[in-house]
Amino acid sequence: MAQSGKGKLNYRCPSCFMRDLDIDMFYDRDKDEYYCIRCQFTGSEADVLAFNETVRIRYKAMNRRFSEEDFAS
Amino acid sequence: MSDFIVNIVHRPELAPEYAEKVTGSGKKDDIGRKSLIDESLSIFRFQQDTAHKNGLKTTIQITYASLFSPEIIAMAKEDHEKYGDEIALSLLGLPCRQFREKYHTEEFCIWLFSMEDKMRIVDDAFDLFEKAFGFLPSSTGSYFMDAELINYIKEKYPSVKCAIATCWEEGPKAYHTCNNSWYTFMDGGPWAPWIPSKQNSHAPAANEEEDSGIVAIPHLSRDLIACYDGNGSNFGTHPQNVLRGMIYDTKTWEYPYLYNLIDQYRHLAKFNNGYAYNMMFVGPGWLNKMGRWEAPYELLKKSYEDGMAYYGQLKKEGKLIDMTMAEFADYYRQKKSYEEPECALWRDILYGSDKQLFWYCDPYMRACINMDQGGALVDLRNYAAKLPWPVGIGTAHISDASYPFLIQEKYRAGYFTHYAGAGTVRSAKIAYGGEVADLCQCRTHASFRERTNDEGRKVRELLLDPVEIVFTDLSFKVETVISFEEGSSAIAFKRRIFDMSDPSAKVQVTEYMTACYGTTEYTERMEGITLGVRAGGGEEAISYEYKDRKITKERAREVYAIVPQIETYVSMRTDAEAEGYVREGYAFSPMFHLGFVGEIGNEEEETTWLNLAKGN
Repeated sequence: MAQSGKGKLNYRCPSCFMRDLDIDMFYDRDKDEYYCIRCQFTGSEADVLAFNETVRIRYKAMNRRFSEEDFAS
Repeated sequence: MSDFIVNIVHRPELAPEYAEKVTGSGKKDDIGRKSLIDESLSIFRFQQDTAHKNGLKTTIQITYASLFSPEIIAMAKEDHEKYGDEIALSLLGLPCRQFREKYHTEEFCIWLFSMEDKMRIVDDAFDLFEKAFGFLPSSTGSYFMDAELINYIKEKYPSVKCAIATCWEEGPKAYHTCNNSWYTFMDGGPWAPWIPSKQNSHAPAANEEEDSGIVAIPHLSRDLIACYDGNGSNFGTHPQNVLRGMIYDTKTWEYPYLYNLIDQYRHLAKFNNGYAYNMMFVGPGWLNKMGRWEAPYELLKKSYEDGMAYYGQLKKEGKLIDMTMAEFADYYRQKKSYEEPECALWRDILYGSDKQLFWYCDPYMRACINMDQGGALVDLRNYAAKLPWPVGIGTAHISDASYPFLIQEKYRAGYFTHYAGAGTVRSAKIAYGGEVADLCQCRTHASFRERTNDEGRKVRELLLDPVEIVFTDLSFKVETVISFEEGSSAIAFKRRIFDMSDPSAKVQVTEYMTACYGTTEYTERMEGITLGVRAGGGEEAISYEYKDRKITKERAREVYAIVPQIETYVSMRTDAEAEGYVREGYAFSPMFHLGFVGEIGNEEEETTWLNLAKGN
């Protein structure tokens, strides 16, 4: 198999992201999957995007717009 | 009427730090390749145009590489003439063919060079700048500048009055985020502009004698909770950092967090005599055409345009003043006195909690109070020590530019929940009938008040909502007021007990501080630290030997620790009749403990002061 490279976008490992680590993943053409060089995470592009959505669960106020009153209270 | 000042800073890099390696993956490593230079130029043009389109002036931080680019020099001159942009000199963005051929290194952080090289590079860059523009710059900067570098620049180039001098809480957390590869250790500094002292650039000057001669600004304005609790690089006034944190809706590409962050900074005017500050500084690598991680270029571009548009809208509404860095330095000198602190009562705007932190910074300390832990002091830096701490090759610290802590809840445990050991924190334990509660267990909220005391000094106070303690045979409430007197290096903690279910009962209160020293998660050698208790009957002290020894004295006046490694004298005193104690730690728990144990009844109160000083 040829050496791995990065995809069109440099997806980060969602599992490492959850522990505050930014690790670029590599893309394995033969298996059509991304894999992390830091942990055991592997996944298709769809898997990566789905995991990235779960990453956002912790940001409960991500879509909330705060008002001046919110800061004053 | 309050002032919300913003500095928009752009740096034309020509070899953007990320574009060079990340987007060039698989290509020949050629820092001078034309496609990279063309892309860099277009990113700079885009950033400048976006600011101007929104009616905002910028500070153009010319990089070393740009000084060899007639196009950049011409663009900067034109924008200076047309929009009033300031042309400044950045000490970031050193990498380019000319720099590498001259200095034979891939080092790109000015503060990490030897002092000899720092001076050589500064002289080289300032000379090239003067030749290109016909004048010397008023502003400069880098991710970090140590006092020695600032002092050299100010002495040799007195025209400099403003500099970007730190990136708030970029330390071990940022290092970990980059898989232990990003050597920017600069925790422990101010989050908002300050006048650096000549001794240590993190520590604000207390007077003219200590004044380094410049006004320092932070690299970005960062979220004072998210950035402290987690990875700092995702939570700042840097739209692409917000994308880096995945803090946007993937369907709508909206990111209200960015605007909430800016608005919370605007709100800080309430704690700082009607003044608040923001800084946005996006390096060109964050806008490269190949996208950044999972964010495509279109999203990177949109976020920059939206960020600028929001600042522009605030300006149109009369809620924002855009300034160049040099203009801001003049404003700041007029607005602030040396001893006036910077205060920030900050709330969570991302995780959906009610968490509040209070940050306080003046020439004598930087302190953080955590309302989720009952008003415990969870981060403490002794600026009164004005610790000399040169960094770079040939110094004792090389890349560790952080100002050492005495207390740091993330690196040294904080309120302790594990089964053996201890964590650094300043809190109180209350006991009755064999039961004990630590105020760290009592979540609360705080409000801010500024008043003038009997001596005519201003006092900033944090008024905590009372918390309830419920034991088997007794319940009561505890009210805490934490005070910072301007010009003093003491923090006062006043506790009042009330609403006791048995008004005749007395509870035992232990006011304590568990501390150590360091800049990272890992322990430093504790030998050489002296712990002592002063009482009417005399003084007793021990030298740290990891033997878990303890000294106690009735009616103690003061308990103290001398930490010569960071030139610190830290002490506690109380107005209560209490037993004072000091205790050393042991190898598994290399901390030291100071405290007072006393009794309080219903409707009674006591005050305990934590004092910081320079001492060996």
